[in-house]
Amino acid sequence: MEQQKQPPNIIIDLIKVTKIYAPDVQALADITFSVNKGEMIFLTGRSGAGKTTLLKLISKVESPTKGMVEVDGIDIAKIPKRNLYSLRRKIGMAYQDFKLLPERTVAANIAVSMEVVYRRNSFIIKRTRELLEQLGLQAKINTPAAELSRGEQQRVSIARAVANYPKIILADEPTGNLDAETTERVMSLFDDLHQQGTTLLIATHDTSIYNQQHRVIQLAFGQQNTPQATDSDVSLQVTN
Amino acid sequence: MSLFSSAFRHTGRNMLQTWKSQVMTLFTVSLSILIFSFFYLSYFNALHIGQELGDDLRLIVYLDEDPSPPLQEEYRRKIKNFDTVDQIVFVSRQAAFDRFEKQLGDDKDILFDIQQDFLPPSIEVYPIKTLDSLSRIKRFSDYLYTLPGVLKVQYGKDWIERFYSFIQLMRIIVILSGFLLIMTTTFMVAHTIRLTLLSRQKELELLRLVGATDNYIRMPFLFEGALLGLIGASMGIGALYTLYNWIILQFSGSSLFQLFPFSFLPLPIVVILIVTSTLLCAFGSFSSARQTLRH
Repeated sequence: MEQQKQPPNIIIDLIKVTKIYAPDVQALADITFSVNKGEMIFLTGRSGAGKTTLLKLISKVESPTKGMVEVDGIDIAKIPKRNLYSLRRKIGMAYQDFKLLPERTVAANIAVSMEVVYRRNSFIIKRTRELLEQLGLQAKINTPAAELSRGEQQRVSIARAVANYPKIILADEPTGNLDAETTERVMSLFDDLHQQGTTLLIATHDTSIYNQQHRVIQLAFGQQNTPQATDSDVSLQVTN
Repeated sequence: MSLFSSAFRHTGRNMLQTWKSQVMTLFTVSLSILIFSFFYLSYFNALHIGQELGDDLRLIVYLDEDPSPPLQEEYRRKIKNFDTVDQIVFVSRQAAFDRFEKQLGDDKDILFDIQQDFLPPSIEVYPIKTLDSLSRIKRFSDYLYTLPGVLKVQYGKDWIERFYSFIQLMRIIVILSGFLLIMTTTFMVAHTIRLTLLSRQKELELLRLVGATDNYIRMPFLFEGALLGLIGASMGIGALYTLYNWIILQFSGSSLFQLFPFSFLPLPIVVILIVTSTLLCAFGSFSSARQTLRH
């Protein structure tokens, strides 16, 4: 069994994480930072800076070439494949490419994350309606995902990520295809979850969505930009 | 929502989504079951006919002289040592003469002036009425011939050998069709499930990403395989029953059918066939899902 190593308040811990894709494309280099429980962090940087890779490493969609990633006190490299579900249930991830099932309805796409943990039907229906209302998609509940616009698909992906009240939410460019009003709705949803104690890590290059209240980690070419010794082993550019 | 109810729901959805390949597999499974059960039904009835014919089966061992009671006991022991028998009857010269006289009925006068000990004494051996005893009868006859004092051993050699060859052929056909059944049910279902899995890679990947367990992903495919086996086998047996009724109707006046009553497979055999097919298909699907999902 994996042991509790990190301080109890830290929920995500990355130590000198490097990711190199074959043959020799370095996506991340020596990334080190921690995320506290209930914290909302913005991960910024240009396209190709490594934001998506970083989120994939945290959810163990990818494995680091070097370094260690701990989630909720567990070194995720030590989680066997058959037990990955326990990690994935703690994390809700909104993907940049949405990962929706095009022939399924909006409701069915959102329900997937709740079905796998055997939620009651009544809960699934209630939660789906609630989220769709919050995201302004209630009229699309029975529309197949393939018939939605990109902005709508993005919101469905976000709804699926948050539906099951995960401990951690990873959102990859969640407002990339949204107009100002819808962006506000999505951010309001994230703020609500943050208020409820959920940890959020939002990768974005949309400067309008983050503010002074939250920590910002900037990546450039796979590295944390403008290293600053803000902690003994944490080097990142922080705005707060 | 439990694992089972969720798996059933997914199974229904899978089957509806890929109904064309499901129908093809169903037909293949039911055709295999029909072929196998047809030959098994023929074999089963041939065994019955064998038993009916075996009722008249006996080996007559002609002796050179009437055996004394201790020698009779010795013969009895030797015979029983070789094989289990239904009955052993000693027929003395006098008893043979009396039986012959009775058989002649009104013509018994022709025996006038003939010595009453002209017929040889014999032992009538009635083997137990199973097909195996039929298959051993030649060896049994050869063995009896080696006993001391035996002049000749007689039995319905020709028909027994022909019938036994026929039964052997039937047995081989049943085994081969059984092999066909296993191949088709297991491999066809495994192949169908594999195609379903490959066509739904995106969905399976998503299920993994949102925290589905391996069982959650595999269970619907296991149910799907079992359901294909159950429905396919039931359809195959149903088709056989229809065919059986048609044959009975067509040949109801035939003298062969009156001589040897033809019957359908007993319920336990039908149940065993359906259960076996269900398990084979479930196994095929499970192994396919296991293999495909490992990657």
